[in-house]
Amino acid sequence: MTAPAASPPTRSTAPLVISVKDLQVHFKVKTGVVHAVDGVSFDVRDGETLGLVGETGCGKTVTARSFLRLVKTPPGIYAGGRIDFWSGDARRSGAGPVDLLRVPDREMLAIRGDRIAMIFQDPAKALNPSMSIGDQVAEVLYQHRSDDLVDDQPEHVPRMLRRASRQLTTGPERLALRLPPWRKRASRLRRRGDELVAAALAETQIANPRKIMDRYPHELSGGMKQRVMIAQALACNPDLLIADEPTTALDVTVQARILELIADLQRRHGTSVLYISHDLSLVRQMCDRVAVMYAGRIVETGNTRTVFSDPLHPYTRGLMAAVPSASQKRGELLAIEGNVPELIDPPASCRFHTRCGFAVALCEQADPELLEIRHGHGVACLAYASAGKLGVPNAALPLVDGSTR
Amino acid sequence: MTTLSPETAGNAGSVAGSPVMTLRGVEKHFPIKEGALQRVVGQVRAVDSVSFDIRRGETLGLVGESGCGKTTLGRCVSGLTEPTAGGIYFRLSDEDRTTLDGVLAVAEEDRSPEQKQLLTRIDHGHRLDLLDASARRIYRRNCQVVFQDAFSSLNPRHLVKDIVGRPLRVYKEASGSDLTERVVSLLESVGMGRQHLYRYPHQFSGGQRQRISIARALALDPDFIVLDEPTSALDVSVQAQILNLLHDLQQQRGLTYLFISHDLGVVRLMSDRIAVMYLGRLVEHGTAEELFETPRHPYTQALLAANPDLSADPDVEMKGLEGTVPDPANPPQGCRFHTRCPVAVALCGWEVDDAVSWLSESATFPDTLTDVERRSDFDATLVFADEASARSVAATLSGPAVPTAMAAALETVSVEDRKVVIRFTSVDEVALEDLGLGHLTSCILYTVRK
Repeated sequence: MTAPAASPPTRSTAPLVISVKDLQVHFKVKTGVVHAVDGVSFDVRDGETLGLVGETGCGKTVTARSFLRLVKTPPGIYAGGRIDFWSGDARRSGAGPVDLLRVPDREMLAIRGDRIAMIFQDPAKALNPSMSIGDQVAEVLYQHRSDDLVDDQPEHVPRMLRRASRQLTTGPERLALRLPPWRKRASRLRRRGDELVAAALAETQIANPRKIMDRYPHELSGGMKQRVMIAQALACNPDLLIADEPTTALDVTVQARILELIADLQRRHGTSVLYISHDLSLVRQMCDRVAVMYAGRIVETGNTRTVFSDPLHPYTRGLMAAVPSASQKRGELLAIEGNVPELIDPPASCRFHTRCGFAVALCEQADPELLEIRHGHGVACLAYASAGKLGVPNAALPLVDGSTR
Repeated sequence: MTTLSPETAGNAGSVAGSPVMTLRGVEKHFPIKEGALQRVVGQVRAVDSVSFDIRRGETLGLVGESGCGKTTLGRCVSGLTEPTAGGIYFRLSDEDRTTLDGVLAVAEEDRSPEQKQLLTRIDHGHRLDLLDASARRIYRRNCQVVFQDAFSSLNPRHLVKDIVGRPLRVYKEASGSDLTERVVSLLESVGMGRQHLYRYPHQFSGGQRQRISIARALALDPDFIVLDEPTSALDVSVQAQILNLLHDLQQQRGLTYLFISHDLGVVRLMSDRIAVMYLGRLVEHGTAEELFETPRHPYTQALLAANPDLSADPDVEMKGLEGTVPDPANPPQGCRFHTRCPVAVALCGWEVDDAVSWLSESATFPDTLTDVERRSDFDATLVFADEASARSVAATLSGPAVPTAMAAALETVSVEDRKVVIRFTSVDEVALEDLGLGHLTSCILYTVRK
């Protein structure tokens, strides 16, 4: 067993951006309550990329969506826990965090898209087919950056123009803005908007942003659409970017370019990224730290290098062994047998015990906590738990190869 | 046309067994219709002159990005659509295959009456679209398909027993309690059981649904199964189960697979030989080992470089490709990959469309282009609204900003008042070349070296 790779010290001491504590998101269905996210805790620090990895239905997307309160209630229920968020301003001024689950709607509007932005999985569905690309990217600027739109206006900015920069004008005002003496200043406002949109698009290495601005989503390829989404998300220079499977709908050759772009933009802007994916190899490429989710819980978390070179949890090991690689022989892939369990009113047991090769009787009765085994490397498995604390003899614990007891 | 010489055709790798399916110059073009009269204005060339053999007991992997025609080819092979040109032959003996290649190597008008007779005999005995009713029945039951999305390929209103038992009923193989028993044994062979007989597809998880699809495909004990992205909708842990199952079934029943996928890792694991497609054409074809160890075509190399691999060194960055896949209705000349190829040279087939699209990408391109008068794909006149823009475009084209390979292929750029005449070296389509050991590739780099 190798010693944990020395993690860059700056990472662990960097200020927190997000701290999720015991997050629980449930869904009410006819047959009971689905515990989609059930006690998830993790931190994202300034400038780092955290990978959230797991299979379909393990709760990764619900976790991310609850950051922006995008889970529909009902049927969703924010059943407990908190998501503390420190915006860049709050960190600089030394102010405390806000709890994203409890901030008033008005404040949430100011955070959504501005301080925390999200890139969705399917760019074809996330873009509005009836709006030009330019208008869609401009929306986020009108919402959050209205002051930038009027900053090149000469002298005092009249109220009507300010209202126009926020798209709050009424019908008569819009008419007045088309006529002299307002016309000139209104068109100047539009030009400034176009400039900012073009700059945001150029950031994502779109050739000829001005030409793209007049196009509609159906005229663009999948990779282009994803670039537009990234431009939209990064237009306000957010503190946290949530990338929810940003390349699942794309071909590998395009995927590599998009990931390069996200990594590059992150380096330049110092944005923290929560990267969600089911693809282990991409997470390994993209992320500083990784959290492995299974059935609504985090089962393992740690430095990417450590987790991938020395996975502790049987699920993480199973997942890695199931990925086809050059060294494997045909028909000898190590599959994880069975399926993800139903999450309707789950019993207090290890969620993985039904599929785990190391499971013992205790796994059905005790619910493992996420314990830090070594520096920054946590795992939720009874094989690594202390028998004394659980009040059982040592022999009752499962034995996973290499578990140190 | 990519005609293969009889010696090289499809014997990449030396897997035993005679060919189950033989493809020669298969083309599938879809008409583009427009207007009230639905006039045909163009053709989407989904599959273009593809030739290979699938031999008994082997797995042929077919890889490529979305839109490259791999699914269309799979549908042609499984008889779900008819190719617009070329032939797909079923159970051709080795002898007949050699004869067929010999005849096809001769141009149609030069064929002797005996050759024509031979061709007619082979065509009527083996070619899918010319089979008689009884031969077609034999083909149909021996060729089955497993689709990507098991949810939409299983009828939601039918019970598992009916879905899996349907082929047996259609071919009057079994009925009553005999049928039930056959279905149970089929379900058992895919790791399911009697308890699943009277359930509907929605009651199963994705992996189980895919197992039901496989059981249905196995019902008539076929020789050959087309697997069209069978695991791409599944999670890795379940994918591994299905891949292991497919392998076990192949071992037990001596099945032949055409395995279509965009996942290189999966294809590498499952296939004996691999064919790489780009924009309707085969660009490389060889044994799985050869192709992954020494990929020859730049497209295959790019695919491998972009493919995330868990066993690779984590510090090696993935590399993507510039640009997008060109429009298959108007595929590039020469090598179809040259517009995105990182190592393209002058002879790769640069043409007028490349120049126009390159120009319109640049920020300085004037909006005054009124017409493109083509004399051929390589020779055209760009007409502008005013003289100044014609001059500036001509200057750009002869300037240093033009990609080197394109500049080298550009023979003439001349200005006549509002017109710019551009002419490129004309180039033929690149044919598949045999590099030895049955490793075929269609790249000018290897042709030149020869």
